Amino acid sequence: MTRRENAHRVLRRLPMVGWLWLLWILLWGSVGPVVLVGGLLVAAAVVGSFFLPPVLPGAVPRPLAIGRLLVDLLKDLVGSGVTVAWQVLRYGGKTSTAIVEVPLHVDSDLLITAVAELTTIAPGTLVVEIDRRRQRLYVHALPVRDETDLARRRKAVQTVERRVARAVGRGRRTGAAGDDTSGSSDHPDQGGSTP
Amino acid sequence: MTVADVITAVLLPAGAVFCLLGALGLLRFPDIVSRLHAAAKAQTLGLMLILVGTAVQMPLRYAPVLLLVVLFQLLTAPITSQIVGRTAYRVQALDRGALFRDELADRLARDGTPVDERPPREDADR
Repeated sequence: MTRRENAHRVLRRLPMVGWLWLLWILLWGSVGPVVLVGGLLVAAAVVGSFFLPPVLPGAVPRPLAIGRLLVDLLKDLVGSGVTVAWQVLRYGGKTSTAIVEVPLHVDSDLLITAVAELTTIAPGTLVVEIDRRRQRLYVHALPVRDETDLARRRKAVQTVERRVARAVGRGRRTGAAGDDTSGSSDHPDQGGSTP
Repeated sequence: MTVADVITAVLLPAGAVFCLLGALGLLRFPDIVSRLHAAAKAQTLGLMLILVGTAVQMPLRYAPVLLLVVLFQLLTAPITSQIVGRTAYRVQALDRGALFRDELADRLARDGTPVDERPPREDADR
């Protein structure tokens, strides 16, 4: 291993060290020299001893898009939180749910994980299964009463997907719409194909 | 009454209401996965509102710790709900009467591994 490769490896882990250091300082709630030096040592030790592969080589996080992602997430949280709360009060045990198949366009472990995680955070949607090979999420949604709701939910998850792709993507969405050759012709896949 | 007081006066009761509704949903919803919606989500939102409402009252140096609680709650709650939801689906603990459409079952049927439609066991859920 050359010196340049070594330097590159160290450089790549610096953000993680920085984050752990910040976390340590925040948890102690003070900035004495002991806390600062100790935090740096602990952060470096943790990163050094637990090797993590690079999750998305070449990804460029865009701060502005990430900020928008968070704002939209908060809006979703409150909006759908109210919806679910209303379902509790109005319908209770007679609520109507559905499991929606959502075809994704992104094709990287990190992005699919992020979409699944963000979908599950929002009240009213919960990922019950991830089909990594076909790039599909199966989302348990509440409330769903008719076909329109179903299509709307599929759209909503795909909107989240677009925001995630914009926030950390590489300018374009990688991968095609999935290798679904088993034929969804027998299946009204409305709303499933985005333009 | 300062601005911070007003924020707290709005957010704390709102958060408490969401937590209450989450608990109510836990009782009223028909099956495990629907209950997860109420328990894990409405509760998360309630907790967030309460913590933000508290954070504005604290000295500035303590507020970040509360926001860290929010952050880790947001990061970890979905993972457990996803595992529980996935397991619930696989052990047939879903109330199929409440399902308007199950596209995962459709997909599994097309793949030649249809969901076993036998009624859930007595002890599966309630």
